[in-house]
Amino acid sequence: MDKKYGVYICEGCGIGEALDIEKLCDVPKEEGFPVKTCPILCSQEGVELLKKDIANEGVNTLVLAACSRRVLFDVFRFDGCIVDRVNLREQVVWSHPRSKYPAPTEEQKDDEDFIDHVQMMAEDYLKMGMARVEKVNLPEPYKLETFNRKILVIGGGITGISAAIEAAKTGYEVTIVEKESALGGQAKKWRKQLPGAYPYDSLIPPTVEDKIKDLQNYSNITVKTETVVARIAGEPGDFTVTLKKPGEKTEFDVPYPLPDEMKVDEKGKELDAEALHAKFMEYNKGKQDILTLDQNGEKFGAVILAAGWRPYQPEEGEFAHLGYGQIADVVTNHQFEDIAAGGKITRPSDGKEAKSVVFIQSPGQGDDKDFAYSGAVTSLVALKQAKYVREDYSDGKAYVFYQHMRTVGLTENFYKSIQQDQGIFLTKGEVTGVSKNGGSLIVEADNTLLGEKIQVKADLVVLGTGMVPATKDSPVVNLAYRQGPGFRDNAIFDEYADSNFICFPYETQRTGIYAAGGIRRSMTVEESIEDATGAALKAIQCLESVNRGVSVHPRSGDMTIPDFFMQRCTQCKRCTEECPFGAIDDDEKGTPKPNPARCRRCGTCMGCCPERIINFCDYSIDSIGSMVKAVGVPSEDDYDEPPLRILGLVCENDALPALDIVGLNRLSYSADVRFIAVRCLGSVNVIWIKDALAQGMDGVFLLGCKHGDDYQCHFVKGSELADIRMKKIGDALSSLALEEERVAQFQVAIDEYDKIPQIIDDFVASVEEMGPNPFKGF
Amino acid sequence: MADAYLIEPDLDFIKEVGALGGEDLKKCYQCATCSVACAISPETKPFPRKEMIAASWGLKDRLVGNADIWLCHNCGDCSTRCPREAKPGDVLAAVRTYAISEYAQPKWLVNALKEPKKLPILLAIPTVLFIVVGLVTGLLDFTPDLSEGIKHYKFFSTWLVDMHMVPAAIFMVAVFALGLKRFLGDIHQNALQEGKTKKEKIEVVGFITAFLKVIPTILKHSKFSDCTENKDREIAHMLTIFGFIGLFIVTSIIFLVMWGSYLLPSGPLHGPWSQLNPVKWLANASGIALIVGTVWLIINRRAKKDQKSDYWDWYLIYLAFGLGVTGMGTELTRLAGWAFICYLLYFIHLILVFCMIAYLPFSKLAHLVYRTVAMTYNEYAGRNF
Repeated sequence: MDKKYGVYICEGCGIGEALDIEKLCDVPKEEGFPVKTCPILCSQEGVELLKKDIANEGVNTLVLAACSRRVLFDVFRFDGCIVDRVNLREQVVWSHPRSKYPAPTEEQKDDEDFIDHVQMMAEDYLKMGMARVEKVNLPEPYKLETFNRKILVIGGGITGISAAIEAAKTGYEVTIVEKESALGGQAKKWRKQLPGAYPYDSLIPPTVEDKIKDLQNYSNITVKTETVVARIAGEPGDFTVTLKKPGEKTEFDVPYPLPDEMKVDEKGKELDAEALHAKFMEYNKGKQDILTLDQNGEKFGAVILAAGWRPYQPEEGEFAHLGYGQIADVVTNHQFEDIAAGGKITRPSDGKEAKSVVFIQSPGQGDDKDFAYSGAVTSLVALKQAKYVREDYSDGKAYVFYQHMRTVGLTENFYKSIQQDQGIFLTKGEVTGVSKNGGSLIVEADNTLLGEKIQVKADLVVLGTGMVPATKDSPVVNLAYRQGPGFRDNAIFDEYADSNFICFPYETQRTGIYAAGGIRRSMTVEESIEDATGAALKAIQCLESVNRGVSVHPRSGDMTIPDFFMQRCTQCKRCTEECPFGAIDDDEKGTPKPNPARCRRCGTCMGCCPERIINFCDYSIDSIGSMVKAVGVPSEDDYDEPPLRILGLVCENDALPALDIVGLNRLSYSADVRFIAVRCLGSVNVIWIKDALAQGMDGVFLLGCKHGDDYQCHFVKGSELADIRMKKIGDALSSLALEEERVAQFQVAIDEYDKIPQIIDDFVASVEEMGPNPFKGF
Repeated sequence: MADAYLIEPDLDFIKEVGALGGEDLKKCYQCATCSVACAISPETKPFPRKEMIAASWGLKDRLVGNADIWLCHNCGDCSTRCPREAKPGDVLAAVRTYAISEYAQPKWLVNALKEPKKLPILLAIPTVLFIVVGLVTGLLDFTPDLSEGIKHYKFFSTWLVDMHMVPAAIFMVAVFALGLKRFLGDIHQNALQEGKTKKEKIEVVGFITAFLKVIPTILKHSKFSDCTENKDREIAHMLTIFGFIGLFIVTSIIFLVMWGSYLLPSGPLHGPWSQLNPVKWLANASGIALIVGTVWLIINRRAKKDQKSDYWDWYLIYLAFGLGVTGMGTELTRLAGWAFICYLLYFIHLILVFCMIAYLPFSKLAHLVYRTVAMTYNEYAGRNF
């Protein structure tokens, strides 16, 4: 593309009053860029001006120096043109008021030593924008060779069935695979179901059979029972899936990655790529490599993971203090449901009527934790099962001892109705023990609402054990990905198939695979059905994005893909290993094999590549590097007391919006900082930092999402990886006799805009204390 | 605290408390707003939160013999502030009704007092007794001599009155005595169990001293005045109570003077007494207080839509109102010289008096005794009430 540049400077929103626009125009002029100003660029006249230049002058690369790129993006979108938005409004004039950084007076204008911080900043940003557009190009969509829009649903329970129906309703072909011999899953095993409609106050008969009947009305749904996934290979829009009978062994069973201890030789030295691959194949004997496609495999475009949950099975000796395993009449809530579904509630020990039943919601023993994998659903189940006792016996009594009674939303109505039952007794309390007393049991509890240690006679005791996601036991999806068959690091979600719980439901760490129902978190039937709908829509969104070569999420619609300059690849495998989404496989030589449709365009690969061979057409080592180099670094040659220059690399997901809000609220911070937005802190390549320091900048900081167990990174691991890299960069800096503290990383949430000025100013102050970068001026 | 308390919920008790007006008790989720809202609840082991869970768990033994249920004056502050509309005030009232029934004997009489259908029978008992005994003994004269003006004793002999009222009073005292013996034992036991007292035994002297201390509190309605929700009730209740006390004093004086006057050579002094007599002043003032107080109570209860009022409550209020109206009516019609109406009202008045006395331990009026005893016990036990 032949670039024809045009720089447009807006004078609205206070920009014209705060800046010397004429002087600002000199910046592009010096570079030979045509420049125009406009009183209000987003006005009809302003946009007309741009459109006219595009049409008449052939301008196709525009630098718009106005407001944040996060606003008016539709107004300033011109198809076929490269547009860069230089943020003079939020980032310059709104956050650096003239009252604090005065403009030069008439006399000062000729004073060489006078520093006009705000003008200087605007000029830097304009230069950076101009530098960037020189280095970026328009993207070409990545088109799959073959594209399939069928949806695979793993799991034929209430969630899977609902997801299949929802997807089928919109015209998609769906296949459900169910490992059991019939559809229905857990929801088929109950006596009754929690209320699913207003007024949410009484139990209803199980609804799953109706759903199964409904399913038969859709000719575009195929059901395969007694079937599991052996492996899923490929990428969204083009998955090759091998199905098999449960327990069957095939050559397309998914291979597992080598454990860490097998990746080294006897001396503890890391094996080279080929030796590793040989070892991998040996480790997975009888199985094909991930890159070998099953020619008989079925093609799918997206996957809905609805494999559900299984009842928690207490281990040998677990809950012995509650008599579990020793007393036959102490059962789990799942066992109790089986009893209730089979008829009147009786005791397993002697088959006698169980008229007094105690439901224990927390194992006690010193803390108030509930049983593992339990939550709101287990609370509701206890209430439901208490009602069974009352249904069966008019003189029946049901006691619920809980530490937490979680009845979310309108299920509160159900709680209220259960509470109204004269034979159901609810109390918070710590159950201290269950013991035998003649023919019945005695349950003892402390710290109850009754204000003292109490004992209750019981015929049957029920433990409120939880719902374990299928992903706890096996990967289920069995992805033929180099990173392994399942989701990585899901231990922080107790192995629930989830990636970022709050912001992006249904998203897993694998693009094109959407989780719903009990596998994502414990859910009621009603919640599972709603969840299934959400996941079905996500799967459809995926298909309708991949077919156009654009990213699904969270950079929805992004057409760029990472471009690998393979000639210079050293097969270090870092990109394969660090990609948070397992988008990159590698061959037996260790050469990366990107799967662009799996990619979420975060740029983590670009950030980690030591050879810097991974780039996006509009976001590259060079484009950001050039922006860094465009920042003017004043030295003692320029001023007696040159101001500091600090680079801030800002994550565009949360930190950048927060920074805009800082400007919007007219909060101010140091004028010595220059910001560059990055896709994710994971995409920050240390070369940018080294470049910045080498050119005399005094410090660099990264501003991005929180990491750790409660991470908020939109790309799961980006900010965490950046943190690791920044810790390592310290060594490199000290070898240059630069203080490690010149580089820092800060975590902010999107709502923490008020903390940002302090973070920035504190960092600037700490750099000031260290003194200027000794390399300045070289 | 003692060993673990073995809980055995009494489902019938829960049902009964519900039927007696506490049907919302299971709505309680134990937030304790009620205990905070209550102006007269003690700082340690405050009611009614603990009574609410005890009631919803059917722990009859924790409630019936619990002095705290009597400390409540049913002002309704808790019910108004209850976020779940569990109406703790109504629940405690229901539990009190249950407790009254529990301590009174015979049980058929207890049940009769709770059912509107049995009211005719209850009224028929004194009516039939009066007529039968009166006609048999000739002490009831339907054609009294009007030559000296209207003289009630000529219609309904004073002998006949006391022939019924004195045994009725003895019966009442006996029923109370039996009930109170158990009641006092129970509340003491309960206080020991719940750690509400340090006293191990009930000593007579200490108890009487406590009683003397409590009397002014009751008369001044100090507890009532802490109430915010139902403040109007304080004066109405006070008027009613003072009306009763005044009439009790008047009746006692007349009783003593009349029977005493048999010793006089001039023969017995029969009523009516002169309007100039200070005793008459007291009688008239008390009668008016009783009528005004009860009317006020009726208006108040009718206006309170969120507070439960059922037959149990209305029986007592209308009985008191009826006593006032027939009493004053008798006097006024006598002064007006309407003999027939006057005698009729007097007859009804006596029926109501009999009902009040004989049925006292079985009706809501028993609260007069139980609350007084509970407050006395509390004072004695050193609970910071």
